[in-house]
Amino acid sequence: MSRIRLIILSLTLGLLSFGVAQSYTIGVSNNFVGSEWRTLMVQGIEETAAQIEEEMGIEIDLIFENATVDVQGQIQQIQNLLNRGVDAIIINPGDVQALDIALEEAVDEGVVVIAVDQAIGAEGVYNVVIDQKEWGRQNAQWLADALGGEGDIIIIEGGVGAPANEDRMEGVEEVLAQYPDINVVGRESGNWDQATGQRVASDMLASIPNIDGILTQDGMAQGILNALLAAQPEPFPIMTGEAYAGYLRLWDQARQQHPGFESVAVVNPPGIGASGLRVAIELLEGGQVDESQLTGPYGNSLIVPIPYNITSDELDEFLEEYADAPDTQAMDGQITQEQAASFMQ
Amino acid sequence: MSRLGILLRNHTWLVPLLLLAIAVGVNVYLQDNFFMQRVLNGNLRVMLPLMILAVGQAIVILAGGIDLSVGAMVSLVNTVFVTLISADSGGLELAGAMLVGVGVGALAGAVNGLCVAVLRLQPIVTTYATSFIFAGLALAILPRPGGSVPRDLTRFYRDYILEVPVAAYGIALLIILWLLLRRTRFGHHLYAVGGNDEAARASGVRVGLVRFGSYVATGVFSALAAIALTMSIGSGNARIGDDMTLSSIVAVVLGGTRLAGGRGGAIGAVIGVAILSIIRNIISFAGIPSWYQTLVDALIILAALAGPGLVYLIRRQRNDGN
Repeated sequence: MSRIRLIILSLTLGLLSFGVAQSYTIGVSNNFVGSEWRTLMVQGIEETAAQIEEEMGIEIDLIFENATVDVQGQIQQIQNLLNRGVDAIIINPGDVQALDIALEEAVDEGVVVIAVDQAIGAEGVYNVVIDQKEWGRQNAQWLADALGGEGDIIIIEGGVGAPANEDRMEGVEEVLAQYPDINVVGRESGNWDQATGQRVASDMLASIPNIDGILTQDGMAQGILNALLAAQPEPFPIMTGEAYAGYLRLWDQARQQHPGFESVAVVNPPGIGASGLRVAIELLEGGQVDESQLTGPYGNSLIVPIPYNITSDELDEFLEEYADAPDTQAMDGQITQEQAASFMQ
Repeated sequence: MSRLGILLRNHTWLVPLLLLAIAVGVNVYLQDNFFMQRVLNGNLRVMLPLMILAVGQAIVILAGGIDLSVGAMVSLVNTVFVTLISADSGGLELAGAMLVGVGVGALAGAVNGLCVAVLRLQPIVTTYATSFIFAGLALAILPRPGGSVPRDLTRFYRDYILEVPVAAYGIALLIILWLLLRRTRFGHHLYAVGGNDEAARASGVRVGLVRFGSYVATGVFSALAAIALTMSIGSGNARIGDDMTLSSIVAVVLGGTRLAGGRGGAIGAVIGVAILSIIRNIISFAGIPSWYQTLVDALIILAALAGPGLVYLIRRQRNDGN
């Protein structure tokens, strides 16, 4: 009799602990759907949520607010997520400051808020980002080294005034300051747009002779290399590129035409969204951020390492790996759950 | 013309109001906390800046023009406003900065007005060009997003007076302002110039002056929109208004105003903004998969735009049949 009671008791307990598998509702706010990068970011969050469910035995209910909206529209996204009772919000913020008030309201309601890709200063929000300045620095350092520390270069930067661009250019300028023999003979914006990049590059190639190197960012590099391949300038400059399958293929083409052509692709991982999700899960599971690891402009950023760089030496390997991938496929990377846990106390 | 036809012709905002009622109905069905005070306030304060801007756009469209620079004017006034104030500005300083902002908006509108009314340049091309001037100025004033606004100001914008959201008072004021403007001689002349400028000129309306005035008014409303927006977001950004231009035009058309001018009104534009915003809620609460949200959004807007036209077409065909 008592044994049966014991069995029943243990069964009940077992069922209880099984039945109350933790369940979280997590909202995702994405303010721009016009780029492959953002698509990969959203996909990464979806896939990683499924993985986490399996790894940790918890349930994740994802709610997406995924549309191209202005800042008021993104505030509406945040409000709608709150009204749907989310436990956490992963947001790629469309503005550095304008969403602070809306997000602080969410934090006040006990919602975990993680900003990815773009650091913001809202109180109680944690940023999960790569170090954009370091991203710019790595590109500039590669170019300076590849040029042997001298030559004329042009810069085609991203969205002027956008924080990511300004941070990257700060890193670039720090590096270039150490190379007095590298002359910046032209600087324009390609607005992170392939077509704009191509047009701007064509114009600059036509008006500026003897360019040795081009420093640019992701989002424009394919357009710029296309402009180079069309114009066939002498000398044929080397350039910094982007970690997209399409760029790698163009790079291969340029290298076959001009054996001296070199490039680099520094990964800017769309998986940053998934990394943010992993950090959010740690916080929802009761983790406390290790304050000593917080840095960034507002002292609330957790820096995810830049996954890797591709140089001429690795090009063949990556061309093979991404042979069937569409041009818009980005090289990616995200942190593991253990890495997310290492951000906690 | 039937009595219904006359009613609809004189009150172009009736059809949009019906559309809004349908949209709200669907929204309430999907979101049971829609009428909670907090939720209503959230919705209204998101809508208010674009509503103000759409009223401005409606004025210039009524007079037969169009203004593609309204978003850039919002950015410009936003940057001017946040540059003039700081986190601990007092009331007087804030009022002063708002006045300067409105002045800048009026001036920007006057530039548009001069080009269109005096130099007789095409409105679309002119305001497209000046939008880059205003956006460039905004970027020069505030190269990096930032600036701070007194907490009291942003808190006020989100607050309630007698249990009613401040944003609701803003919308009421906006409508009163429009009704007053409409009663003035300028208001009447707007319709006359937009409807048939030759006839207006023949009956003694100073067409050029009215056109000029419509652009100045649009500049002033853009400035007011910028101030509301700044109170909402508590910061400055030289590109903040970029996406608002097209939305303002869509709202005006949704609100039953004819793009050719002369018929419609600003109340319709206010309703148009509400419709656009409610559609976004519907998409959110309907749980539409993320990849289809943009598509569904656009389809609903298209249907809302086409709906009244289709009804008209069907009625006309039926009348022809008789």
